[in-house]
Amino acid sequence: MNEPTIFRFNAERRDIVDEVVSRVLAEAKDPLFLLNDAAYNEIRRLEAHAGDERELLVTFRNLARSLGRMGDGERQTKLEQLARMYAWDVAGNFDPKVYRFASKVLPSLVGGLLSPLQTLAGGGPEASLREHLVTQGPTGDITRLAQIGTIVFVPTHLSNFDSVAFGYGLEREHLPPATYGAGKNLFTNPLLSFFMHNLGAYRVDRRIKHVLYKNVLKAYSCVLIERGYHSLFFPGGTRSRSGGVEEKLKLGLAGTGIEAMIRTAQRGRPQKVFFVPATLNYQLTLEARTLIEDWLAEQGRARYIISDDESTQLERVLTLVRKLLLTEGSIVLRFCDPLDPFGNRVTSDGRSIDRRGRTVDPLSYLKRDGRIVMDASRDAQYTRELGESICEEFAKNTVLMSTHLVAGAAFEKLRAAHPKSDLFGLIRHRDEVFVPRQEMSRAVGEIRDRAAELEDRGLIVLGPGVRKRGATELLDEAVRAWSGYHSFPVLTAQGDGYVLADTKLLLYYQNRLVVSGLGFGSARGSLATASGGAARAGQEVAS
Amino acid sequence: MSAMTVGILGGGRWGFALARAAQMAGNRAVVCTRRDTSDRPEGVEVTGEVHVLGARATLIILAVPSNVARPVATTLGDSTTGAHYVVHAVRGLSSEGLLPISAVVRQETPVKRVGALAGPVLAQDLLEGRPSVIAVASHYPEVIDSVKHAIASPSLRVSSSDDIIGTEWASALVGALLVGVGFARELGVSEPLIAGLMVRALREAASMGVAAGGLEKTFYGLAGIGDLMAAMAQQDARPEVAFGQRIARGAKSSQLAVEMGVRIEPIDLVPRVVNFAKQRGLKTPVFETLAAVIEGKGDVHEITAALMRS
Repeated sequence: MNEPTIFRFNAERRDIVDEVVSRVLAEAKDPLFLLNDAAYNEIRRLEAHAGDERELLVTFRNLARSLGRMGDGERQTKLEQLARMYAWDVAGNFDPKVYRFASKVLPSLVGGLLSPLQTLAGGGPEASLREHLVTQGPTGDITRLAQIGTIVFVPTHLSNFDSVAFGYGLEREHLPPATYGAGKNLFTNPLLSFFMHNLGAYRVDRRIKHVLYKNVLKAYSCVLIERGYHSLFFPGGTRSRSGGVEEKLKLGLAGTGIEAMIRTAQRGRPQKVFFVPATLNYQLTLEARTLIEDWLAEQGRARYIISDDESTQLERVLTLVRKLLLTEGSIVLRFCDPLDPFGNRVTSDGRSIDRRGRTVDPLSYLKRDGRIVMDASRDAQYTRELGESICEEFAKNTVLMSTHLVAGAAFEKLRAAHPKSDLFGLIRHRDEVFVPRQEMSRAVGEIRDRAAELEDRGLIVLGPGVRKRGATELLDEAVRAWSGYHSFPVLTAQGDGYVLADTKLLLYYQNRLVVSGLGFGSARGSLATASGGAARAGQEVAS
Repeated sequence: MSAMTVGILGGGRWGFALARAAQMAGNRAVVCTRRDTSDRPEGVEVTGEVHVLGARATLIILAVPSNVARPVATTLGDSTTGAHYVVHAVRGLSSEGLLPISAVVRQETPVKRVGALAGPVLAQDLLEGRPSVIAVASHYPEVIDSVKHAIASPSLRVSSSDDIIGTEWASALVGALLVGVGFARELGVSEPLIAGLMVRALREAASMGVAAGGLEKTFYGLAGIGDLMAAMAQQDARPEVAFGQRIARGAKSSQLAVEMGVRIEPIDLVPRVVNFAKQRGLKTPVFETLAAVIEGKGDVHEITAALMRS
């Protein structure tokens, strides 16, 4: 196999930054606007909270004051300086040595250090992680496609653990590493920064809102795709707050896939681009509590950017990993069928095919009067439609585990006990509803059977062993997984049954069922603002 | 702008009327049909082969009844690429589910850049070159530009929107309302009362269109109210009105569908949209009445009396 493109990254980095800067400048129709916009937004942000960026605040204040007096040439120079500063800030790092080291050490690190029980019980540490993280899907096809063009991985996003799990999954399936944009806050997180640095991540500072910065990010992503660097975006934008599967995407960066095709085609060497959706499924989510609180708070419009959550607490991470390792197949990384940037399926030899199986030339979508042209509004629409196709793949490839099914059954009981309550009313009834063990087990069995029916129709996937195991076994497994990991019990065992204790976490885990219609769906309407749902109506009509 | 070739798939009156509009706009038109075309407008080229359209035209207009839209689109798919634009002029939704025809085109062909034509324009006006107005909807500005280039002329104004779902639903549901117009007129219901019922029904239609993903305002535009006003003013111009009248005289809809020799889209459509509305908790008493009328259920006087009370 050829060496992955990313191994060349450090050698090309200066060149890439230069190209990004020149592209941003070439497209800057109105430098005065870009500078004003940048200064305005940054002064606002930094005045509210400058932290250790006081100097930057001074720079932007000076810029704002002097902008009016500047001539065109001087504005151009300022713009270039800023663009270059941002491009370097964004540019990632990739060290093949660190990569090789990490890929050797990571399994033992995660599997061994964090799972002493398994290690003692025999079987190497690496073997234990291999069992616990299950990868599914057409990895052979994806490997072939990676030789033909640029792969853009677009997974669902639940946890800060995602990039680690995904990176490990790629490595284990002998898929090439991918470069990805990670929130800048993750680089300051002492635990995760180890995995971020040197493994191809580039920095995205979500606090910076101005147009120039967004242009730099887009140009950077586009240049990487053109040059054959496999990329990874979390198209949901941020971690799913509700715990539900993304139903609406933020595709700003994914749109650069089409732009990369156009630019390379216009230069006479079209680069093929393939999107590979994937779902990351966990029995337990590291930050469940913080995320669902945030989601509920957002319903009251009190959204905040989480800078400190469970993933910064080493002890919590260790507990999580230990818990995940107790159950076989507790993390499932499932790759979906590859798509071209227009949402068409792609065969393993890189041909796009339409829904009737005809081969279609993807470049034909970019033609007008026989010529390949750039058209921002057309390409934005193509990207929206790609987003719909990705969401369809997400839904079909969502893997349900015991915690999701048990939460679904428990939430049904909660609703049955309070049939008139709305979502917030339901949440308030914590520690109130008692369900006998037998009844709970029956409810779990019912929801599992409904899920199995959906799986037969190709609409959902059941986690490893979920189909075979008895309902009581699933119930016990979920209770065991939850207990001790989350600060408060999710279900409290009492006599011969359970009290529905943490209603918020029950909501969180059952939200994974919503996309297939198995869970309590009132979350969906309000999901429109968190992670989607608005575009569903048209699809329902279609079904 | 240089002259273009417009491909039209479907050789009914609508197909040739659109071909005529293309000619009026200074373009060439090729119509693909297997029907007898002896009365076609002068200068319109006719072919029996779909691949001729694919090879000659970038813009192809699909002008066939909704029940054959899918198989026709499948055939079209073999002769098109991602470079084509396909715009349909079908006043109906697909017979499976309630899929808009634009979605059927996307399923059956490699084409992504799709659009829909709708609005008050009558085939006869286009054929005779009388000034009129038509609506086009697409998410793709270049599709709208291409349609304007193809058929806009001093005698045809093309109005555009990006709400394709709303446009397709409005166009289909107005056809259904016309059955009600014919029916009520035949029973001697006064024009003011009919107007009142139609305003109510249009609001119901809009609520369904919104549930399907369209915009409410589209129903109060050309594809909705515009189409309805034109069809109501034109006595017997649309087959749906005549159909409604004959139902009122006691004919069975299944029998009429055969006798009239044209496809009456609302026969299939109305019960399905009523069901669609029920599933979503929408109140649509006028459409429910219409469904009862079409299905020949209940006494007509009772039904209409109930409508006055509700």
